[in-house]
Amino acid sequence: MTTTTPTHHLRRSQLYRWHVNALARFEEAAGSAVVTEYAGADNEVNQATRLALVDLSTLPRVGFKGPGAPDWLDQQGAQLPDSPNQAVRQQDDSLIARLSDYELLILADLNLNSTLPAILQDRWSLASANKTYSVPRSDSHCWFALTGADAAMALSKVCGVDLRTHKFADQTIAQTSLARVNAIILRNDLAKTPCFFLLSDVSSAQYLWHAILDAMVEFHGRSVGIAALRALEAKPQ
Amino acid sequence: MMASMNRLPAPYGLLLDRNESITFSFENKSYQGYAGDTIASALAANDQWLLSRSFKYHRPRGVLTMAGQDANTLVQLPADPNVLADREPIVPELAVTGQNYSGSLNRDRSAWIERFAKFMPVGFYYRAFFRPKGIWEKWVRIIRQKAGLGVIDQNYKPVYFDKQYLFYDVVVVGGGPAGMVAALQAADSGAEVLLVDENPVLGGSLNYARFDAQGQRAGVLRAKMIADVEASDRVDIKLNALCNGWYTDNWLPIIQARRLYKVRAGEVILCVGALEQQAVFHNNDLPGIMMSSATQRLIHLYGVRPGKTAVILSGNNNAYGVALDLMDAGVDVKLIVELRKNPQYDDIARSAIARNIAVKTGHAVYAAIPGPDKKHISRVDVRKIISEGTCAAQGEIIECDLLCMSVGYTPAYQLPCQAGGQLGYDDETSSFTLTNLPDSCRLAGSVRGVQPESETDSMNFPWPIFPHPDGKEFVDFDEDLQIADIVHAVHDGYEHVQLVKRYSTCGMGPSQGRHSALPTARLVAKATNKTIAETGVTTARPPFAAERLAHSAGRSFYPSRRSNMHYRHLEAGAQMLQAGAWYRPAYYGPIGSKAEAIRGEVRNVRNNVGLVDVSTLGGIEVRGADAAEFLQRIYTFNFTKQPVGRARYALLTNEAGVVIDDGVACRFHQHHYYVTTTTGGADRVYQNMLKWNVQWCLDVDVANVSSAWCGVNIAGPYARHVLEKLCRDVDLGAEAFPYMGVREGTVAGIPARLIRVGFVGELGYEIHVPQHFGEALWDELMKAGSDQKIMPFGVEAQRVLRLEKGHIIIGQDTDAMSNPLEVQMSWAIARKKPFFVGGRIIAELEKAQIKRTLVGFVVNDRQAPIPLENHLVLDAEHMVGRVTSCEYSPTLDKPVGLAYAPLGNAGAGSQIIIKSTGGVRVTADIVDLPFYDPDNRRQEL
Repeated sequence: MTTTTPTHHLRRSQLYRWHVNALARFEEAAGSAVVTEYAGADNEVNQATRLALVDLSTLPRVGFKGPGAPDWLDQQGAQLPDSPNQAVRQQDDSLIARLSDYELLILADLNLNSTLPAILQDRWSLASANKTYSVPRSDSHCWFALTGADAAMALSKVCGVDLRTHKFADQTIAQTSLARVNAIILRNDLAKTPCFFLLSDVSSAQYLWHAILDAMVEFHGRSVGIAALRALEAKPQ
Repeated sequence: MMASMNRLPAPYGLLLDRNESITFSFENKSYQGYAGDTIASALAANDQWLLSRSFKYHRPRGVLTMAGQDANTLVQLPADPNVLADREPIVPELAVTGQNYSGSLNRDRSAWIERFAKFMPVGFYYRAFFRPKGIWEKWVRIIRQKAGLGVIDQNYKPVYFDKQYLFYDVVVVGGGPAGMVAALQAADSGAEVLLVDENPVLGGSLNYARFDAQGQRAGVLRAKMIADVEASDRVDIKLNALCNGWYTDNWLPIIQARRLYKVRAGEVILCVGALEQQAVFHNNDLPGIMMSSATQRLIHLYGVRPGKTAVILSGNNNAYGVALDLMDAGVDVKLIVELRKNPQYDDIARSAIARNIAVKTGHAVYAAIPGPDKKHISRVDVRKIISEGTCAAQGEIIECDLLCMSVGYTPAYQLPCQAGGQLGYDDETSSFTLTNLPDSCRLAGSVRGVQPESETDSMNFPWPIFPHPDGKEFVDFDEDLQIADIVHAVHDGYEHVQLVKRYSTCGMGPSQGRHSALPTARLVAKATNKTIAETGVTTARPPFAAERLAHSAGRSFYPSRRSNMHYRHLEAGAQMLQAGAWYRPAYYGPIGSKAEAIRGEVRNVRNNVGLVDVSTLGGIEVRGADAAEFLQRIYTFNFTKQPVGRARYALLTNEAGVVIDDGVACRFHQHHYYVTTTTGGADRVYQNMLKWNVQWCLDVDVANVSSAWCGVNIAGPYARHVLEKLCRDVDLGAEAFPYMGVREGTVAGIPARLIRVGFVGELGYEIHVPQHFGEALWDELMKAGSDQKIMPFGVEAQRVLRLEKGHIIIGQDTDAMSNPLEVQMSWAIARKKPFFVGGRIIAELEKAQIKRTLVGFVVNDRQAPIPLENHLVLDAEHMVGRVTSCEYSPTLDKPVGLAYAPLGNAGAGSQIIIKSTGGVRVTADIVDLPFYDPDNRRQEL
C-alpha cells in the first residue's frame, strides 16, 4: 500500500474533498486514490460490521453490452451469471454482474489483485469484438459500499426494494432508484458481514453520498476506508 | 394551580405514570397531569370539560369519543393548530389554547351567531352572498375571517421528518383482541407480521371495556394476549402508529412520530374495530355528553371520573357495563334511559340491574339542558317514545352532569372501503356491513359487526334520532349540521347522499363523517323513501385521519448533479445556477458585478482565450454496422457520407416536425458516432433513440454516456496555442484538424475526444475526457493558458457569445411549435434522403408559406430599455411575435437579439416594434445573422 493524496493523480473521485476534510488517509489505487481509513476514527472494522459507507469510485470497473457481449466475454475466459440480476465471483476475485441478457459489469476486487477488468478493456475494440460495445462504467458511475448488519435497514429509508438479507440473497442485483436517482445495488457480502455495492450516476455522487449518510444517522453509521472492508473480507467464514 | 379533583386512584389509569407529574397550561391557566395523560384527560381530571368552540355556531364542545375520532377536542398548540386534545400527550410546559373563538374560550363573542341559525339554513351560502351584484367582494372578507380553524405559526422552524419502506408478509391493523389473535395466527403459520396500533398500548377494547359482570375477564385476557404477541419473534409491533390509508397492492402508509412508513404487505388483516355512534337529540353536543366508550376510556385508561351524576342513554346492553364501571368509580348513576321497549338483557345487564339502577324502558333523552353558564349539561328531558323518532309531549327532567350514549356502532369502514370493500346495511341489526374485499385483505373483530355475546338484541338501536322543534339535534358536530339541514338538502333536490354531502358539507369536516354517516344515511333514506342500503354513505378516501404535510414531504430528496470541475468553479468565484439537476457556473465574480463579469468574460474569449465547462451536455454513443443509417433516420441532416474524423450538426425534430434538440454527431469510426445533445435533452433524446431503435431493428447499440464524459470548450484566438502545450499526439494545425473535425488523443496525459466546434464563434475545441479526470483537465488548461490570459467563462457569457454568432438555443429560441424552416435551419435538412423523423411534415410545411420566422435584431437607440425574453413584438397593438433572446453585446456595443416576426416584416432592413419593460415601445432593426463574424473567419482560424 502506497500512501498518496487525491490531487497527486489526474483521476479523482467526485468526493475527494469530503474525504480530505474528514481527515482521510489515502492509498494509491489504479492510478488514483482511495480512502484507506479516516484519522482519529475508532475501530473501523467494528464500525463496518454495524454500518459503514465506503467510497470505491476510483477502483477499476468496466462494462460491455450488446448481443455479442456474453459470447465475447466467454471467449475471454470470463464466467458469466446464468441470468440477469445475478453476479459471479471470478477466479481472480473480480466480480461479473449481469445487468441484462446482454449487459455485463465487471468490478475489480477490493485488494486490486484482479486483472480481468484491465485485460478486457485492453482486448476490446469495436472491430474485434463482434456486436460487443464497451460501456464506460469507471466514469459513468460512482461506486459505494454500504456494509454492516444495519445496511439493509438504512437502505430502506432511501430505496423501495426489500433488501433485507433473508429476502435479497448474496450476489443478487436490484436495478432501482436510490434516493430518487437510478442505481445498481449488488449484494456482495464480506465474509459474514452484509455488504451492498451501490453504483449510481457519477455526477450525483455527492448528492447520493450525503443522502445515504443521512439515512445512516439513526443507526450510528459513518464512513470508513477500504481497509476495513478488506479486513472483513479476510475474516474466516 | 387547580387540584385534580376528578382523578381516580390506581389501578385506574392504565396509561398513567403517576410518578411523573406534568405541569402544562390551557387558556393560560396552569394545570397538572401525569405522564401518559392526554390534554383532554388531564383537563377532565381537573374538571375542565370545555375544550373548543364549534365551527359554525361557536357552541361549547368537549370530550365526545376520547379516541381522536371527533373534532370537538381540536385545540391550538404554539406551533400546531387543530391538535386532537384526546390524543395529544401532555408534556412539561405545554401551552394549549382553545381555537375558533373571539375573546376567550369561556366567553366567545362570536357565540351570538347561533341566534341567527335559522337564517343560515343548509346551503345558504350558495345563495346568500351573490345578490345584489358585486356584494360577494364585501362578504368574502368577512367569510374569510371566520373560516378556518386554528392559527399557523408563520415562524415555525421545520424539523426532521422522514420515510422508510417496510415489507411484511402480513400486516395487521389494529392491536385489539382480534388483531392480536390474527397476528399470532399469522406468525404461527410462518409469516413475518407487523401489528400496528394507533394507541400507546396493545389491547384495544380490552383496555377499557367491560366483558363480564365482575370486570375481571378483560384484564386477564389482555395480559395473556399481549405477552404472547410480545414473545413472538415473528411479530413486529408498532404502537402510536396510524395506518392512514389503503392503496393498491396492499401499500399502507403508516405514520409513527415523525416518520411515514411505506409498507408493502402480502396480506392485510384489518382489525380496525367499530366506532360508537351518538344519539341525535336536542343539545346532544353539550360538554358532559359523550359516548359510553369515552366514559370507559376516561375511567380505565386515564383514571378520570367522568362526572358525579350520570344518566345513560341505552340502546344496547353495553350501557349496563358502563353503568357498572361508573358505579365502581363512584359515580351516581341516576337512570338508564332505555330506548328499547322490551330489552333482552345479558348477564352484565342483569348484574347492573341487580345493583338497583333505575331503568326506564321505551324512553329517550328528548333534550339535554345546559346549566346557567351554558357550557355543560345539567339536566336531561326524558320522554316516552311513542313512535319511531317521536316522543311524548311531556317528560321527566333528571339532573345530571354526565350523559353517556350507548346506542350503536358503525364498523370503521374507511380502510376496508379503500381496499375495495362494499358497505351494505343489515335492516335486522340496523348495522352497516362490509363485503367484497379482495382476497389479500381480510377483516377480523368488530369491524365485521359488533356482536352481542349472547342471543340478545342488536347492538344498534334502529332509530336513535329525535327531532326537536328548536333544532340543535346535531347529526354532524364538525359542521354544526342538524336534522333539518339534512332533510332540507334532500328537499332542495339533492337526493343522493353524495349530493347531500356536497350541498350540506356533511361529513366534510375533520372527522370525515365518522359519526355523521350513519344518521345521515338514515335521514336521507327516510326522506327519499329508500332503504338505508340503497342510500349508502359517501366515499371514504384516504387519508383516514389528518396528517401533516411534513409526513407527505418527508425527508425531501432533490437530486443534484455536479461535474468533476464543480469545486474549481466555486474556488474561482463562480455564481452557480441550476439547469435541471445540474449545477453550472453562471458567471465568475461577486453577485453585484454580474454585468461587468459577463462582459469581461465575453471580451476575453474574443480577444484571448476562455474556458467553459460543458460537462452538462448530453453524450450518446451510437455504435454498430447501422450506426450511420440510424442517425440518418433520427436527425434531419445527412450522415451516411460523413467522413470519419468529422463532426456534423445534428438537428432533431419530432414526428410533427418540431425542433426538439440539437448537437453534433462526431464520427470516430465507420460504425461509431458520439452524439452530443443539449443539457436538458440528453435523457429525452436517448429515450427517443431507444424507442426508434426498437421499431427499426437496426444493427446498432445506443448508450447514454452523458455522465461518463466531462467536457470543456476552450475558445478564443489563442485556444490552439494553449492546447498545443498539452496535446502532443494530435496535429492541431488548421489544415490537419479543421473546423468540425474530431480527433482522439491525450491532453495533459488524459485520454480525450477533441471536437473542433464554434458555438461561441471563435477558434475553439471541445475536449471531452472521462468524468473523473475533469478537474485535472481544468487545472492543466488553466495553467497552460496563463500566459495567454486564459479565464473561465460561464453560461451567461456563453449565451452572449453564441447570440453574437447567431446560434439558437433549443428550448429558448424555439417553442413547442417551432419547425426548422421558422428558425432558419433549412440548411440542416437533407431533403433527398428517403426518411427522417418529422421529415414528412416538414416536406408538407415547405409547400406552404411559413407564417413567422426567427430574425436577428439590433437596438440602436441607446436610451431604449433592453428588451427581455418573451417581450412582445407588436404590429400596432396586436401581438405578432416575441423576443426569444436579447443581450447587450460587448462586441457590437449594442443590444442584439432574436425574435419571432411575421414573414412579411422579417427582411434585413425592416424594423419591428417591441413592447419592452414598462410598456415602452422599442424600435429594433432587423439584420442578417450572424451579428458577428459572418464569414466565419474567426472560428475557422
